[in-house]
Amino acid sequence: MARTGQVIPTASPAHGRRPGGGAAAARVALWAPFTRRARRELLFCLAAIPLGFCLFLVPYWIAGPALAVALLAPAYDSTWVAAVAAILAVLLLVALATRVARGLGAVHRRLAARLADERVTPPPPLPPGRGVAGRLGAGLRDGPGWRAAAYQLLKLPLAVLEAYAAFLWVAGLVNLSYPFWWGLFRNHPPGVTLDPVPAALPFPGRLFPVATFAGTFAAFAAGAAMLLAAPWVAGAVVSADRRLLRRLLGPGTLAQRVRDLEHTRALAVDDAAARLRQVERDLHDGAQIRLATMAMQLGMAREKLDGEGDPLEVRQARELVDEAHRAAKDALAELRDLVRGIHPPVLDNGLADALATLAAGSGIPVALTCDLPRRPTPAIETIAYFCAAELLANAAKHSHASRVTVQVVERDGELVLAVGDDGAGGADPAAGSGLAGLAQRVRTVDGRLEVASPPGGPTTVTAVLPLRA
Amino acid sequence: MTPGAAAAPLRVVIAEDAALFREGLVRLLSERGHRVCAAVADGQALLAAVAAHRPDVAVVDVRMPPTHTDEGLRAALELRRDRPGTGVLVFSQYIETRYAARLLAGNAAGVGYLLKDRVADVAEFVDALARVAAGGTALDPEVVGQLLGASRNADDLAALTPREREVLALMGEGRSNAGIASALVVTTGVVEKHVASIFGKLRLPPAEGDNRRVLAVLRYLRS
Repeated sequence: MARTGQVIPTASPAHGRRPGGGAAAARVALWAPFTRRARRELLFCLAAIPLGFCLFLVPYWIAGPALAVALLAPAYDSTWVAAVAAILAVLLLVALATRVARGLGAVHRRLAARLADERVTPPPPLPPGRGVAGRLGAGLRDGPGWRAAAYQLLKLPLAVLEAYAAFLWVAGLVNLSYPFWWGLFRNHPPGVTLDPVPAALPFPGRLFPVATFAGTFAAFAAGAAMLLAAPWVAGAVVSADRRLLRRLLGPGTLAQRVRDLEHTRALAVDDAAARLRQVERDLHDGAQIRLATMAMQLGMAREKLDGEGDPLEVRQARELVDEAHRAAKDALAELRDLVRGIHPPVLDNGLADALATLAAGSGIPVALTCDLPRRPTPAIETIAYFCAAELLANAAKHSHASRVTVQVVERDGELVLAVGDDGAGGADPAAGSGLAGLAQRVRTVDGRLEVASPPGGPTTVTAVLPLRA
Repeated sequence: MTPGAAAAPLRVVIAEDAALFREGLVRLLSERGHRVCAAVADGQALLAAVAAHRPDVAVVDVRMPPTHTDEGLRAALELRRDRPGTGVLVFSQYIETRYAARLLAGNAAGVGYLLKDRVADVAEFVDALARVAAGGTALDPEVVGQLLGASRNADDLAALTPREREVLALMGEGRSNAGIASALVVTTGVVEKHVASIFGKLRLPPAEGDNRRVLAVLRYLRS
């Protein structure tokens, strides 16, 4: 399924514009500032001010100290310190630029999903590089990272426009209020001359003086005009921002998407083949050999019973039947485990039941919360279940944790599975653990795996999956 | 009561990585009066044990550590090359026609390839083992069935009567005329007539001895 940015029509800030009559159009125009969408777009514009200006500077904060040294060192006649610091600053910037830009892009995406109804699928994660050079190279070749950096740059002029839209709102409201408080503060005795009160114009920085009560109506009129114009300005700017978001913070061009899908398809096929091989091996080394042993024991027992009825042989035959009986039970238990490993039957009842069964069987106490208003598709449920199973097994094996939490919620139209423990931490997906395999399996459905596991703990592994695959 | 035990006791080396099944085999053969010189769990240990004990026959699982692919088969081929006097019974949970072809390449003397399932019929299994130890052949009906199915001489095979096809399959398994007669509950004379008819229809040269018959049949089936 195509999961590039969904387009929600936004040409006009007002919903439900019906054909028919200037009266209806006028009502829509008048009502525009008071719709839910207008409110959300105002909030988006307000948020753009700190985000656009401050986040833009983040890369400079990182390289800042080195940059400062580079600029200050010549004053102290130490050219080589300046050179080293300058190189360090450039290296830091280059090495971190795409990574930082990706992180900031995630913030922008989340904000857009919350306030602008723009759900943009994140780009595929940065491919891991080996060693310092590999990581540097991966960062430099990171197309989505550079696109995210371009977004930060273009966001700066956009943020200025968004700030203007927010200004129209706020200043418009202030202007509207002039006639109401004028009487309260201007009840001075006759003959006293007061300075005029400045009122805002739609042009930032320009003010006009209001000296009389009649003048407040001019301010009121200007405020009303600004307020009526604000949602249209905000709508236009936000719409441009959304277009930019989709273009620059999404999964990228079709060609890139195809490359990514080819990669994840290869992962999915490999994963399926590996699982089949594992099932074959489990059967071959488990149930199959137990059944062969059982057939052998029963064959021997039959031969003994075919004899003269010698009490010794009958007793031996009974022992053999006992052993065969045990082998049959073992084979059944193994088949049951294997079946559960292929597809746990309880999963048909839903993820909550399956996870509850899983939690009950865990060696460490598990606190489970599962809150899914909508049921994901079976493939997603299966992946989520096996993620939880593997993460619980990891926690039991490696973390020495005393308790584990498993949390499943729906957030921004995605399934979020978080497994946390209070154990030793230090889990590293790059260290060839099961986490890397898990991340690959999650990627096959455009999901992602986030690991937070500082040495000393605690560990939280979060799998984010689409609701349908 | 145990027909296998009446013959000379065999000296056997077993290579099988599943401990439960290995112990079962040791017990089964010991109870029948045969001597299990060594029971090992991988191909290298098998070669060492055969060199040390010089058994009459080795029972070899195909899939064993370390790679769990075909190390048993490779060890078996090595034994066939280096110790032609030792019978090799490859004992596996699945049948691969190509494995059978490699085992039988050139010479079907003292070689067997059976499914592990066959151990359920203890007497037949021990018979097959004795046959291989004595330089004969024991092929699983599955092997023969696959070869029959895969044979390119379908027209000639179609000329055989159903009874003749049964006899051909049993010949391929390595049975003597007497063995075939008892399996089909007929007299040896009837079997001889069938065999002559098969050899005639398939244009196979008549041959003496069990394994030469097997070879002739297999060569025909593979050609």
